Amino acid sequence: MVQEGAQAPSPEVSLAVTLFFAAFLVGMILCLAFEEKLHAQKSLIVGLFALITLLAGAVLLPLPYGPYLIGGHEVALPVYIPAIDWGVITIILGASLFVDVTSRSGLFTWIAIRLTKASRGDPRRLLWYYGLMTVVFSAVLNNVTAMIIVGSLSAVSLGKLERSDKLLGFLLVEGLLTNVGGLLILISSVPNIIVGTAAGISFIAFFIKAAPFVLVVTIATLLLGARIFEIRGLATPEEIEEAARLVEGFDERDGIESRGFFWFGAVMLVLFIVAIATASVTPYVRDLGMGFIALAFAAVMLIRFKHEVDEFYRTIDWDLLAFFAALFVVISVMEHAQVLALIGRGVEGLIALGPRAGTSAVLLSSAAFSSVTDNIPLAAMLAKIVADIPMPGGGILPPGDPLWWAVIFGANLGGNLTPIGSASTLVAVTIMHKHNVPLSFVAFVRKAFPFAAMHLALAVGYVLIAT
Amino acid sequence: MTRVDQFESVFRSAARTVFRPEAVELNSVLVVCDGDGSAAEEFAARSRSFLGILDERENLRWVTVPGSEFRTVPDLLDRVETERPGLICTHRHLHSESWRWPYTLGEYVDVLTQATTTPVLVMPHPERPEFQNLAGHHPRSVMAITDHLTGDNRLVNYSAQVTHPGGHLLLSHVEDDAIFERYMEAISRIPTIDTHVARQEIRDRLLKDPENYIESCREGLARSAPELTVEALVTSGHHIRAYRRLVEEREVDLLVMNTKDEDQLAMHGLAYPLAIELRTIPLLML
Repeated sequence: MVQEGAQAPSPEVSLAVTLFFAAFLVGMILCLAFEEKLHAQKSLIVGLFALITLLAGAVLLPLPYGPYLIGGHEVALPVYIPAIDWGVITIILGASLFVDVTSRSGLFTWIAIRLTKASRGDPRRLLWYYGLMTVVFSAVLNNVTAMIIVGSLSAVSLGKLERSDKLLGFLLVEGLLTNVGGLLILISSVPNIIVGTAAGISFIAFFIKAAPFVLVVTIATLLLGARIFEIRGLATPEEIEEAARLVEGFDERDGIESRGFFWFGAVMLVLFIVAIATASVTPYVRDLGMGFIALAFAAVMLIRFKHEVDEFYRTIDWDLLAFFAALFVVISVMEHAQVLALIGRGVEGLIALGPRAGTSAVLLSSAAFSSVTDNIPLAAMLAKIVADIPMPGGGILPPGDPLWWAVIFGANLGGNLTPIGSASTLVAVTIMHKHNVPLSFVAFVRKAFPFAAMHLALAVGYVLIAT
Repeated sequence: MTRVDQFESVFRSAARTVFRPEAVELNSVLVVCDGDGSAAEEFAARSRSFLGILDERENLRWVTVPGSEFRTVPDLLDRVETERPGLICTHRHLHSESWRWPYTLGEYVDVLTQATTTPVLVMPHPERPEFQNLAGHHPRSVMAITDHLTGDNRLVNYSAQVTHPGGHLLLSHVEDDAIFERYMEAISRIPTIDTHVARQEIRDRLLKDPENYIESCREGLARSAPELTVEALVTSGHHIRAYRRLVEEREVDLLVMNTKDEDQLAMHGLAYPLAIELRTIPLLML
């Protein structure tokens, strides 16, 4: 039998087999939730589950083995290769490589230090500048890189300003804002890419829809952060003068090895954003996809380091990429085992609560789920489930449907409820520990809860009104 | 290495120590010597002439304590306590014949430099020919030395204050090769650290910080003391030999150094051997 490119789920699966595979899915999610306790990395955890579920699938399921029909040609591929969404993998690979090479130009540190100096060392102004920088960096780069850059700068600059007592507040607010910034554009976070791709949301449409929400939530978060953590402006002329003198010591040119490469990096970053934004309307490029753009920009940037490209290959987060690949395999097996259809029936139950209550319930349950485990499997699963919701005229729900946005907002913002909810909040906690301002799991939840509750309340209102 | 550490390193590197020019306020100078009568007057006159620039800038009160006015270290400390000078000007081996041998500074100077917070200018012993040669001589080439120059505003401000207008202020930093090699030896035995890269990067880093600071001093002093020429002498080598070589090569008239050490009662590790060996030029010990 020849398969038509993608795999089609088979309905000939008993409930017992479905539940058997569902148990594997629950097991994998629990293992991811307790990743730190297991002292094992994501790629190995999910990789082992992928191997086991594939083997079990080979025994119990009618898996769609090849050959596959691609472009009219029969291609022999192992069953787990077409299971992987290579579009997502190439975007992540290309974008992270591009960001890594561009960061060597000193561009991001230059921006960060310029903002620090512009604050003149005033803590409240610093919080606003760093908060806005976190949102923009999370949107343009990714939330982990943004947290690393802004978090490490916060530690160094507050230390220099002798305000290390405010570090906890800064890091917590920045950690929460990474997940807010992750909502700004289509490529800001993996759930955006997965759900946006599945829903067919264009880059521009995504930005227009998400930007007002991100702006309002960012301002609200910074106001609340300044109030809760008592981050105030400088009062006396002596304090103002001393703080300004201390931040003047920062030299933004220190990390720039070559002015030419610095400007090249800046231009390439702008072009990269423009290319990604117009990917869906640019002839030829739209057929090659955003992954091609990301890889192409990374390759052009690497020309500068042609003798040491292996250094950059070593810095790629292979754990993350292997995790995605294995996750797609697990989800594909779950699809064939009818596990996704089973969860879909549960989601249908939520949706059946009505257009308002149903959408709110999907958003809040997505947030609750992503607060204790990785939001990527959640987004991947829900994207498939929402895509499979039957439409009267066939096809999938339109890109503007509130359900897509409920999944996107819930999956991103749920990460703010707990320190393990997102990779960037975990980085924030790591920096806190590094600088001897440890925050336990419970303490994090207690401090983050007012922010997360506000974010979710605003998100529910926004999704119901604006989508 | 984690990426957090990587970025923190980048930002720490960018966070430089900035020099802050500040005027050094001196009200009086206490001249202490072991001679009496004309010998004391001659020592005081020569010291005052050498520090003529301070006299021009400040309305200084000069008080001379001849050798007959103190016989013990407590006597001298009591006198310092009474006068509370801004600067003590003396010579090594007060009331001692040990000046002929280059092994100590004499008990008075040893205690003075540590028991008081007052800077001490140690002139060559009056019986040495170098002291005679100081007649009409001004500190036109002043070298500030320490093993941690970065952030040492006080040292630089003092040095600038005593440099004759139009003179050269040499800000020096010698990174000790012996210590560096000891760490490199340890690093060379750690398989996870690339020894070649570590050697290059650490050496560059160690020299870059004082270079940056001196650049900041140069910018600061260009505003507060534009008549001075500020030069950077940043190198690595054997501490004593390197400083001695620099003193000879640059024909230094006055050495300025820190002598207090927060962690110990004895004189600062580098200052004492330098003070012992460099007997031919005046030393300002802060």
